[in-house]
Amino acid sequence: MSSTHESAYPVHHVGHHFNNASDEFEAAKQGMWVFLVTEILMFGGLFVAYGIFRGMYPEMYVEAHHALQMKMGALNTIVLITSSLTMALAVSATQRGKKQRAIGMMAATIFLACCFLVVKYFEYSHKFHEGLLPGAFYSNTEITNPKAPLFFSLYFMMTGLHGIHVLIGIGLISWMILRSLRNEFSENFYTPVELVGFYWHFVDIVWIYLFPLLYLVS
Amino acid sequence: MSNNDHSNHPHHNQDHSHHHIVSTKTALTVAGSLFFLTVLTVVVSRVDLGVWNFPVAMLVATVKALLVMMFFMDLIHDAPENSVIFGAGFLFLVIFFILTASDLFFRGNVYVKAGTPLVATSGRSSLKNPWISTPELVSHGKELFSQNCVTCHGPEGLGNGVAAAGYNPPPRNFHSQTGWINGRKPSNIFKTLKEGIPGSGMASFGTLPIDDRWALAAYVVSLNSERPASDTQEDVAKIGYDLKTGLAAGGARQEEKTIPIEFAIERMAVAEPAPAHGALGANERGFTSVGGQLYQARCAQCHGEHGEGGVRVRSLGGMPKAYITTAPLLANRESLKSADAFNHVVENGLTGREMPGSADLSGGELSELYTHVKWLAGQLH
Ligand code: HEC
Ligand code: HEC
Repeated sequence: MSSTHESAYPVHHVGHHFNNASDEFEAAKQGMWVFLVTEILMFGGLFVAYGIFRGMYPEMYVEAHHALQMKMGALNTIVLITSSLTMALAVSATQRGKKQRAIGMMAATIFLACCFLVVKYFEYSHKFHEGLLPGAFYSNTEITNPKAPLFFSLYFMMTGLHGIHVLIGIGLISWMILRSLRNEFSENFYTPVELVGFYWHFVDIVWIYLFPLLYLVS
Repeated sequence: MSNNDHSNHPHHNQDHSHHHIVSTKTALTVAGSLFFLTVLTVVVSRVDLGVWNFPVAMLVATVKALLVMMFFMDLIHDAPENSVIFGAGFLFLVIFFILTASDLFFRGNVYVKAGTPLVATSGRSSLKNPWISTPELVSHGKELFSQNCVTCHGPEGLGNGVAAAGYNPPPRNFHSQTGWINGRKPSNIFKTLKEGIPGSGMASFGTLPIDDRWALAAYVVSLNSERPASDTQEDVAKIGYDLKTGLAAGGARQEEKTIPIEFAIERMAVAEPAPAHGALGANERGFTSVGGQLYQARCAQCHGEHGEGGVRVRSLGGMPKAYITTAPLLANRESLKSADAFNHVVENGLTGREMPGSADLSGGELSELYTHVKWLAGQLH
């Protein structure tokens, strides 16, 4: 499958099992949606655990959530939404063949993702310092409810899994920048960028739910 | 191939024919709406809407998520089956949640109906001398044990089940020769299963059919390398088992007072109006003194109006249901021996024993409460 083509854009070859590029694109996209469903269900387990325990210990959630820094959570929500915006703009720039702009937007997305992680780092170190740790590691004495360690187990599991997704997202977007620099994308072929965009928006959606669930319990 | 003959206009190229591109203006409008909704959800969370705070927060989050999906992920211009696929993910999540929650919050409703016996278990044994172990009894008991007891007592009956750490006192190790409260003869274990050990994690399994209880007893006895002495006819008579008819006392159990722990805590959270005077006749002091009123409002739902205990504070789930119950607040209980010990228990609760702490009581209230509980204990025999 070669033809070392000296065009500005390296040619993407349509897989031989597809009729045409459009079919290939649609199939790739559908595959991504199916993958995202598995992601929903992975986070879903944690969300259900959260809901069940909240039903069992509502007053514990109210008391424990005051230990979280709502302002930092809100700041991170704004940061992540902005990063979703820059990613959406990066995708449309790629689709229009505007390489420079696309790379700029992806770099901005990575920058915002890093800001998110820095804020998270400050939040986590505050929790570590106060002994607000999961399960057996919990050592805080200010919160009186004996079930409070459960809240922090959920907090760290949920934000931790989300944080890992942010890290992976940074990796994927960096890879997209690299491929852009290598002129692999054009207005004719941009599937990987669009799919990474989906992934990134999904990470945003998870946070959109985590923020009110963890920081705004009432 | 098709890759090579692309037209220049992105909207009309061959490869991504008709693929919609999100315009910058749309993207900015959506981001603006998302910022607005974030601010809105924070503001709304600061307003007390009662039970509506949570649904409103979730509604706003869902609108935000929908905006991201529809415009950033451009689902509105995507093939409809992709919306179906993604939507199905959320739908399954909702089903997952509803089924889990309904099991947890409504399971108790299946059997507990006021006034009716819990389960119409047959009160008659079909076995000749069920306290004498047979291989069939032991193997049936083993099966029941794995369904009802392993979570606490562990698969080998060592008292190290997955839930064991949550109980104080810990579940009994069936291999030990000492530390038994009722004893370890089959008749003793039958009694434990009938009544539970009130005040501990050992629930009453009186809802199990009578022969199942004998089978469990035979299995538990078989675990210990040193067999206990055999049951005499007196032992068996002592637990109310009629040798002639095979009828056991407590076959069909009386309905106990039931209050789920979640409900108890809920009741504690809202200030309770003092119950109407005279509702309980004799127990005057319970309603007139400060301690008595506190007790009625915050303790009676678990310890009984008169401290008599016997109230179910937790259901173990399972079929049939078993409940952990409170013991009477008798004067010889450790925490009733000094005000300090009492205050400590009441303020901090007891972990592993479902006793919640009430950190908000003042010193004066605590001492009133102590006086009242001591008085109640004096009334109990
Ligand atoms: C929720 C946890 C739990 C479950 C389930 C449970 N137990 Fe127990 N069990 C305990 C605890 C805790 C004790 C210790 C009570 C004490 O020391 O006051 C105990 C004690 C006992 C004892 C010793 C009583 C005595 O005389 O000292 C027997 C016998 C026993 N359990 C049998 C069973 C059997 C049989 C089952 C299953 C049908 C079962 N238990 C299920 C928690 C449990
Ligand atoms: C949600 C139910 C619940 C409520 C409400 C509750 N208790 Fe308890 N309490 C328990 C349970 C369960 C235990 C441990 C089992 C037992 O001793 O019966 C316990 C144990 C105790 C003990 C320790 C007995 C010992 O063994 O030393 C004292 C004292 C006590 N409670 C007092 C109170 C007082 C006073 C209040 C009201 C402020 C109160 N409890 C409210 C469930 C409750």
